[in-house]
Amino acid sequence: MSRDLVLEARELELEYRTREGRVRSLDSASLTVRAGEITALVGESGSGKSTLGMAAGRLLAGNAEHVGGSLEVAGVSVFACTDERLRALRRATLGFVFQNPVAALDPTMRVARQMELVGILGAEATRALEEVGLRDISRVLRAYPHELSGGMAARVGIAMALGRDPRLLIADEPTAAVDATLREQILELLVERCREHGCALLLLTHDLHAVAHHCTQIAVMYGGRVVEDGPTGEVLAAPLHPYTRALLSALPGEERPGERLESIRGVPPVLRGPSPGCAFSPRCPHVMEHCPHVRPLHAPVEESRAVCCHLFTGELGARAGVPEAAGLAGSAVSSRPADDRPKEAR
Amino acid sequence: MSAARIPRAARVRRSRLPFRGDLLSRIAVVLLVVFALVAVLGPLLPLGDPQAINVGPRLSGPSGEFLAGTDSLGRSLLPRLAQGLRTTFLLAGVAVLLTAAVSVVLGMVAAYFGGVVGELIARTADVFFAFPAILLAILVVTVSGPGIVGAVVAIALICSPMMIRVVRAAALSVVGRDFVTAARVGGARPWRILFVHVLPNVAGAAIVQGTYALSVGILLESALSFLGLGVQPPEASLGSLVHEGAVYLSIAPWLVLIPGVLLALVIMSVNLLGDGLRDRLDVRAVEVRR
Amino acid sequence: MSSAMRPPQTPANGRPLVRVSELAVTYNGSGRGGAEPVHALRGVSLEVCPGETVGLVGESGSGKTTLGRALLGLVAPSSGEVRFDGAPVSGRGAGRRLRGRLQVVLQNPDWSLNPSLRVWRSVAEPLAITRSVSRRERRRAVDAMLELVGLDPVLAERRPHELSGGQRQRVAIARAMITKPSLIVFDEAVTALDASVQTQVLNLIQDLQAERGFAAVFISHDLAAVRYVSRRIAVAYQGELVETGPVERFYGEPEHPYTRQLMSTLPTVEREPASPDASWPENAPPLSEDAHGTSRKDPRHGG
Repeated sequence: MSRDLVLEARELELEYRTREGRVRSLDSASLTVRAGEITALVGESGSGKSTLGMAAGRLLAGNAEHVGGSLEVAGVSVFACTDERLRALRRATLGFVFQNPVAALDPTMRVARQMELVGILGAEATRALEEVGLRDISRVLRAYPHELSGGMAARVGIAMALGRDPRLLIADEPTAAVDATLREQILELLVERCREHGCALLLLTHDLHAVAHHCTQIAVMYGGRVVEDGPTGEVLAAPLHPYTRALLSALPGEERPGERLESIRGVPPVLRGPSPGCAFSPRCPHVMEHCPHVRPLHAPVEESRAVCCHLFTGELGARAGVPEAAGLAGSAVSSRPADDRPKEAR
Repeated sequence: MSAARIPRAARVRRSRLPFRGDLLSRIAVVLLVVFALVAVLGPLLPLGDPQAINVGPRLSGPSGEFLAGTDSLGRSLLPRLAQGLRTTFLLAGVAVLLTAAVSVVLGMVAAYFGGVVGELIARTADVFFAFPAILLAILVVTVSGPGIVGAVVAIALICSPMMIRVVRAAALSVVGRDFVTAARVGGARPWRILFVHVLPNVAGAAIVQGTYALSVGILLESALSFLGLGVQPPEASLGSLVHEGAVYLSIAPWLVLIPGVLLALVIMSVNLLGDGLRDRLDVRAVEVRR
Repeated sequence: MSSAMRPPQTPANGRPLVRVSELAVTYNGSGRGGAEPVHALRGVSLEVCPGETVGLVGESGSGKTTLGRALLGLVAPSSGEVRFDGAPVSGRGAGRRLRGRLQVVLQNPDWSLNPSLRVWRSVAEPLAITRSVSRRERRRAVDAMLELVGLDPVLAERRPHELSGGQRQRVAIARAMITKPSLIVFDEAVTALDASVQTQVLNLIQDLQAERGFAAVFISHDLAAVRYVSRRIAVAYQGELVETGPVERFYGEPEHPYTRQLMSTLPTVEREPASPDASWPENAPPLSEDAHGTSRKDPRHGG
C-alpha cells in the first residue's frame, strides 16, 4: 500500500479578520493523512478543526488569512497554487460531506440534476446511490432535497462526494443532524465506501466516542493546534495529553451509576494572536510553571504517536527530567537525551 | 509566507455604518440628506417665493437669475421644486408611517395566532396585492376625492400588503424560537409576547421594507399628482410639477425634465438606502457566536 | 476521574407532582392533499414525584418532544390528560394557575434568549410576567440567580450574542429557576453544547436540584446524558413509552429490545479503570531544581 501523503499540514497558521479584531483559528497546526487512511479530527468549537478541514480545499470565508505554515493536498500547496490548479484539485482530488445534509444540497434542483452537475450521470448515478444503501432510487433521483429525510440526504451527500472518486474525503460532522442509531449506520457506510474506493477520509467530529469504532487514526485539536495524534485504539486507551485525558473522563457514558464526572473547568480559548505558551494551561490539572509561557513542540512520542505537551516532549521536558510515558514509572529521575523514545503504554 | 490570494469579490468588508458602506450607498445617503434638508428648510432658504407669479418672463429656461427657469405663470421653478420635495416627502412619509403601524400589527398577529385569523389577514393582503397599484389608487381617490388625504390612504392600501407579508414572514420565524416558547411557558400573555419578544426582532425587516415602501409611496404620489388626482394647485409636489409642465413639453422641456430627474434621483436614493440597510440588518440578524 | 457520588435527590414522598394518564396527541394532516394524521403520542402514562428527575429518552419521531410540550401545556391532548398538582395543564385558566410553577429550558442556545434584550431582562422576564416581585427586587434576584448558575453578574448587562453557547444555556437555566418552579422541563438542553461544556451544565443541573429541590424532566436523545442526571428513565419509541424504570437498570440489563438497541450505541471504548495510571508522569517522583535552575512544579500538586 502506498504511504504517500494526501494531506500534510505543517505548522499551519490561519487567522480571521473580524469586526472585533483578529481571531486566530489555527496556531501552528500539523497533521498528516496518508492515502487510504481513516482519520478522525476531533475538537470542540473553537479548536480549529473545521477551519483545518475546509482549508484543505481552500473553502474559507473571505476574511480568512493564511499567515504561516503550509498545507499540501496530494503534493499541491493549497495556499500557493493558482486558482486553476486549485479548481482542478477540488474537482479531481477532494470530496466534501457537510454537516446538514439537506442544507448542503441545492434546494432548487432535483437530486438527479445535482449529481449531473458534479459529473455523475445516468447509470453511474444509480450505481452511486445503490452503493450508499438507498432503495427506490428513481424516487430519490426525482426528489428535491427538502423531500428527503435527514438520513437519506446524508446518503445522497456521500454518494455525490464519492462519485468523483476523490483521493481525500473530508466529512464535517456528517451525522450531526442524524438520529443516534442511524448515525452508526451512516458512519459505517461512509467508512466502508471510502475503503472500497481507496479514498482517505478525514472525519471532523466532536464526538470522541463515535470515532472509536471506525477510525484507525485520531488527531485531537485544541486552541488551533493538534495536541495529540496517533492510532485510535492507543490514543483512546492510553491518552497522553491532559486535554484528551480530561475530555475522555468528562464524558458521560462510562461512569458508574451515581458517580460524578469531573468536568474540565473553564472554557475553550478564543485566540487573538499566537498563543504565548500552551493554550490549555489555564485549564490543565497538570500545568507547570513554564507552560503558559513556552509553546510546546508537536513532537513524536513513539513511532506512530505525537503529542504537543511539555510533560512529554521537547527540551524542557527532557531538561526537567520528566520520565517519558510508559513503563518508566518509579525510575530515578535523571536527564535523558531528548530523543529517547519511550515504549508503548501497554 | 504569502497571504492567500482571496478573490476580491469574496472579501467581506465590514462597514461601521448602519448601512452598507460602499460608494453607491454613501452617495445615496448624501443625496437623501441634501434633499431632506432642502425639504425641511425650504421656506428659510433664499430660493424665492413659490407662490409669487410674474416675477420673471414666462416659460424662460434656466438662467443666472432663475436657476430652474420659470413656468407658465412666471413663477420661478426653483422654490417650487423645494416645496415639491417637501410635500412629496411629507405625504409619502406619513403614508408609510400609517402603513407601518397597521401592517406590523397585522403581520405579527397573523404569524402568532395563525389559524383562521392568520389566513384571513394573509389572503386579504394578497387580494390587495394583486391589484395594479395605479388602478387601486385611482379607485380610492375616486371615492375620497382628489387631494392629500386620498393620496395618503391610497399609498397605505397599496404598500400594506407587501409589508404585512414581510412582517408575517419574519414573525413566523421568530415565533417558533425557543425564547418565545419559554415566555409562553412562563405565562406571558400574547400582547406581551408580540411587543416585547416579536416586535424588536422583526423591526429590522420592517424598517427595510419601510424604505422600499417609501419609494413606492413617492412614485405613487407622483403618479396620482401627474394624473391630477393627487396634490392640487397651488400646492406642489414633484409629480404635480411634472403634470403642470407636461403641457409645455415641446417649448419648455425643463419644466418636466428638472422635476422628473429630481424625482428619479429621490426614488433611487431611497431604494439604495433600503438595499444598504437590508444588507446590514440581515447580517446582524444572522450573527451568532457559538 | 474522581469517584465522588453525585448529590442525592430528594426522596419522593409518594404523591406525584405530575400525572400523565393515557395521553394521546394526534396532529391532523394539513388537509390539502389529504396528508395522514400523525399519532405523536399513543396512550402514554407517566408520573413525576416532587424533587425527582425523570429522564425521557428516544429518537426523533419517538414522541418525547411532544410529551415535553404536553407536560408544559403547550400542546392540547387529543385524549387523556396531564395533571400538575391535581389540575390540568391545558385548557381554561391553566395558564393563570400554573404561572411560575412550571418552567422550561430548551435546546437551542442560539435562540433560547431574546437577542434584543439584555441578559438581566431575559432572566427577570418570568418575574415580570408573574408580577410577584418589585422591580428593584427583580434586579437583585437576577444577580443572585446568575451567581447561583456560576455566571459573573457582570454578564447581566450583555446581550446574548456576546455570550458563548454554554453561558447562554446557563442564563436560560437561571431564567427557568427564578420563579422557584416545582418542575423544570429540560428539552435537549445540553445537546447543542460542546462535550466538555455539556458535562459542566449537567453537573450544574444536578447541583441546583440538590439545593432547590425542584422536580425535573430531562428529555434527550443521548442516553448517556439522560442516564447521568436521572433517577428514573422512560424510553420513548414511536409514540409509546416502551420501558420505564430506575436508572440502575439502564447501566445494566434493560428489558425492552429497543432499549438494548439504544444502549448499544453508547461508547464502549476500552479504557483502563479508574485506578492510578502507572504509566503516566503524574506518578513520577517529585523533582527538585534541575541543572538549569528552573524548578518544575510537581504535577500532583500543580494545576
